[in-house]
Amino acid sequence: MRLGLGPVGLSAATGSGLQRLAAQALASSFDAVWVEESRAEGVGGGLAAAAMLAQSSPIRIGAALDAGLYHPLHLAEDIAVADLTCQGRIEVLLRLASPASDRYAAPASRAALEEHVTVLGQALSGAHIQWNGEHLRVPGRLDANQPVPERLALNPRPAQPVVPVWVEAVEPWMAELARNLGFGVAARWAAGAGVPAASGRWPGMLLCSADAQAAPLLAAAGAGAGYFLVAATTPEQVAAAGRRLAGPLRMPGFPAWVNDGE
Amino acid sequence: MTLRLGLGVFGMQSVPQRPDHHVKLYRDLLEDAELAESIGFDSIWLSEHHFWFDGYCPADLAAAGAILGRTTTLGVGTAVMLLPMHSVEKVADDAAVISRLGEGRLSLGVALGYRDPEFDGFGIRRKDRGKLMDAMLPRLAESCREAEPPIPLYVGVATAIAAQRAARLGLPLFADSTMTVTELREMLEGYNAAAVAAGVTPPALHALQRDVFVTDDRERDWAMLLPELRYMRRQYGGWSFPQDEGEMVPAYLQRLEADIEAKLTNLIMGDADFVAARLREFEDLGFGLIVCRSQFGNLPRESLHRAMHGLGRVRDQVSR
Repeated sequence: MRLGLGPVGLSAATGSGLQRLAAQALASSFDAVWVEESRAEGVGGGLAAAAMLAQSSPIRIGAALDAGLYHPLHLAEDIAVADLTCQGRIEVLLRLASPASDRYAAPASRAALEEHVTVLGQALSGAHIQWNGEHLRVPGRLDANQPVPERLALNPRPAQPVVPVWVEAVEPWMAELARNLGFGVAARWAAGAGVPAASGRWPGMLLCSADAQAAPLLAAAGAGAGYFLVAATTPEQVAAAGRRLAGPLRMPGFPAWVNDGE
Repeated sequence: MTLRLGLGVFGMQSVPQRPDHHVKLYRDLLEDAELAESIGFDSIWLSEHHFWFDGYCPADLAAAGAILGRTTTLGVGTAVMLLPMHSVEKVADDAAVISRLGEGRLSLGVALGYRDPEFDGFGIRRKDRGKLMDAMLPRLAESCREAEPPIPLYVGVATAIAAQRAARLGLPLFADSTMTVTELREMLEGYNAAAVAAGVTPPALHALQRDVFVTDDRERDWAMLLPELRYMRRQYGGWSFPQDEGEMVPAYLQRLEADIEAKLTNLIMGDADFVAARLREFEDLGFGLIVCRSQFGNLPRESLHRAMHGLGRVRDQVSR
């Protein structure tokens, strides 16, 4: 089981504030710190923020990103460079159902989103890409641009052989897409809600509230989840969540008396 | 007036003569940024290209984020971001967050781009780049003004037309390293005239990129630099002046070689006193920030660091 902090929203974050949360996460035995874009509100920079945070925190750094709003090769390039700057510690959560925004020309359909994420997956794999889709053609091989190659590749590649990528599945087809591409599946935790199973080599991810308790998360773990992001927003909340969750999630049979004093 | 010196431009290239893995190149970049900060540079600048065999940095803002996380006072800029290939909304939203997290240390330089395969990779026609820039630049300028803190935005130029586009918006220039003093002077005259015609108050100062190498042993360092410079200039020349249809290879190489030789003459190379005096000439033209390109591709570390320390001595002179 793995425990992550966040995703921490970037809409009002400061560099020093993020560093304080990350330092507390490290001190509380979290495995990762996550940041979060919200492009519908004009808040981007998730991967740059992750690259920034990684310079002051030695644990893994995640970025929750809105996918499908701009060219997937730009997203792949951002992931690769961010991963290189922190020697291979980047993780990614893709959101495909961002709220409508007049700032971006969002993909018109599920099919367009599927193409975006598929091209992203191909790029991150290091493949020499030629994609001829209904919504995307990569490279463009446009008559106006000549001579141009028939294929292209993401270069530089990420530091990690395989960057861990999850897709937040708010609709069933998103989970299916993630599984088909070898990505993990993520979902918001709620009592009685379904738990995402492991996909490829990635455990199911659950996005939990700051006050998440160990017992229900362990039950979810039994149903296939293995990565829990806890949305604590203050160092105090981080410390408390770490005390409640880090030990029980790490090892079955965690002795209850350890936390009894709380 | 104080002349500010930036260090540049870092393209993170795994060049054939020194094909380091990119994990090492980005680790070195962060160490170089720390060194630049300790020497007292104003800023460090990153360059952007896409889909090239040596892994030229395609994501300047992600790299900038890492530098801002590693340093505390050093500015970080893009020299230059190829704006028409991007979503302007993405650039604006990314930059605003990075600037806030970096406490106002981010600057943006943007330009057209010129290499067909890069545009084609993103499904964009190269010939549309001017129209795209005309549409994007005002939106990015507005976003940079409204960001908290505001983000300095420069327009990369190598031609009078590009300078006039910037003038109409009152944006400062980021002049290309290959322009001669005469070309720069003429371009600034055209810029100022275009600004007046548009009813815009031009900025007091512009930025300039220049190839600079500070050395106390010119013979030793020229022998080291020449193959690196020739590689870099051949690469850029090949992109800017691709082989014409029907042009024979020897004729093309001869044309390319002539361009390389011409561009090499723009290099400012010498001891700190010499370099400081040369840079003052550009300050007199109206350039308040000079981004000194001392990293050519992927220089040997000890040579780059020697040049950086030398530039630090130049900085001490020109910022007095």
